[in-house]
Amino acid sequence: MNDYSIPELMAVFLARDLRDGEVLRVGVATPVAEAAVRLAHLTHGPNIELVFLGVRMNVAHLETIPMPAFGWDSRVVRWAESYSDTGHRFDRVKDWSNNVFFIGGIQVDAYGNTNLIGVGPDYRRLKFRGPGSVGTPTLSTHVGRYYIVLNNHNPRLFVEKCDYISAYGWGRGGADARRRMGIPGGGPKYCITPLCVMDFAEDSKRMRLKSVHPGISVETVKQATGFELIIPDSIPATEPPTAEELHVLRTRVDLAGRLRH
Amino acid sequence: MNTRRRERIVDEVDAASCIVDGMTIAIGQPTPMALVRQIIRRGVKNLTIVDAGFSLDLLIAAGCARKVISYYAGGGFGNPVMPAFRRAAELGEIEVWECEEGILCAGLQAAAQMLPFLPWRGGIGTSLPEVNPELRVFQDPINGETLLAVPPIKPEVTILHAAAADAYGNVQHHGGPGWIDLFMHRAADRTIVQVEQVISNEQVRADPWKTTIPAADVIVRAPFGAHPFYSRGFYLQDNEHLREYSSASSDFAAGKSDTIAAYLNRYCRRPPTHADYLEEIGIRRLLSLHEY
Repeated sequence: MNDYSIPELMAVFLARDLRDGEVLRVGVATPVAEAAVRLAHLTHGPNIELVFLGVRMNVAHLETIPMPAFGWDSRVVRWAESYSDTGHRFDRVKDWSNNVFFIGGIQVDAYGNTNLIGVGPDYRRLKFRGPGSVGTPTLSTHVGRYYIVLNNHNPRLFVEKCDYISAYGWGRGGADARRRMGIPGGGPKYCITPLCVMDFAEDSKRMRLKSVHPGISVETVKQATGFELIIPDSIPATEPPTAEELHVLRTRVDLAGRLRH
Repeated sequence: MNTRRRERIVDEVDAASCIVDGMTIAIGQPTPMALVRQIIRRGVKNLTIVDAGFSLDLLIAAGCARKVISYYAGGGFGNPVMPAFRRAAELGEIEVWECEEGILCAGLQAAAQMLPFLPWRGGIGTSLPEVNPELRVFQDPINGETLLAVPPIKPEVTILHAAAADAYGNVQHHGGPGWIDLFMHRAADRTIVQVEQVISNEQVRADPWKTTIPAADVIVRAPFGAHPFYSRGFYLQDNEHLREYSSASSDFAAGKSDTIAAYLNRYCRRPPTHADYLEEIGIRRLLSLHEY
């Protein structure tokens, strides 16, 4: 009965939240997001535009849209309608209100700020040096909304306050946390992990448990989170993938089974 | 009187000889590995390197870097953070000029246009201006918005890899330029481009709209010159080789330096030229990387 994997559940959850006509931007090393955008494109988003590291495509007519074996497989250009180099990807941020992005981090805090810089009190002697911010400061500033997608959930990752912030989510909280900084984008909508889905409380913008994946207890999530999550009275289970969604995902997107292994 | 137009083709050994200790260099993507390996072979030190990913990590492992201007040091196989970069940064052996893609482009653009800075919004609210005090938060004089002032990032030499060029430095990328190449070119004092093919000037003139960099200073003929990285329209990246590097680099980060020393000797220091490197890799491996 539990015949789907957790990454498949995560990809399907995200796909359902993506809307036709949106521009979906995917960076490196996020197989769940790689799968989710393709699934949305095939199931309900014929006017979605997929943008993989500047390679822009609409391939809703294809029987399969396989995932690349690694983040920057240059072969994705076979489907491109246009390409923009890094320097020009940010030329039209004024039109990004319908753009969606997926972001990871080595730390995520209670207000959805994320950190790709490093961990440790002294920046000159970090205990863990992260990979760097990529384009996330600019993307998170301008896209209409974004999703924090993680393949772990533990107290070292989920901290009350990031040691360093590379993408500003909801700052130190408040519904106007972004507006008062002059940051136009809509901010993080959901944070999804192998345990649960979280959103942000409307007024405080503090992270709140939205649903737990089937078989996961609220207590497990609390134990795995290094700050106090807002826990509403009733917490549903994350809606599992339907047979149809799984079929499309496995036979038309994730042909190599990357989300199952 | 000499009336002959100057040709700009030199070999990779001569081309790399202008890169000396303490310089600031920018490295495009796909990576001009033939030139990168020459820099390592010559043992250049204390470079400030504008780069991301594999070549950045390799130059750090080889001891060439003092400071890095990088938006991303990831993408290694099994290593979310490139190991030599991580180790050197944690130990304080390199200085990191923390930035991101938009900020890097603004800085390169400011250099190209001789401006003291260009404004950028991405990074407001983040720790970037804290950990990189050269990024200044300011109020714009028109509307009073809070923005970042990004100072010029000025490479003395930019090295790039492209599909083709003629003898006069007219460069054509396969299907458009990659990544930040043109920004790096415009910001630099001097641009060296290694290419898969040298083509005729007539061929360039048959389609001048395809020329992405007019008048590059130096052209180096380097077929398979991006190996082990990809070169669009020519070959795919050599994942097996990149895994070999990644594991050597991981050993190095864990304090075991014999595998990285062996890697650097075998592929970067011992082969005197790019052709010798290709012989070391072997014709079968190279042909197996043919696109699709």
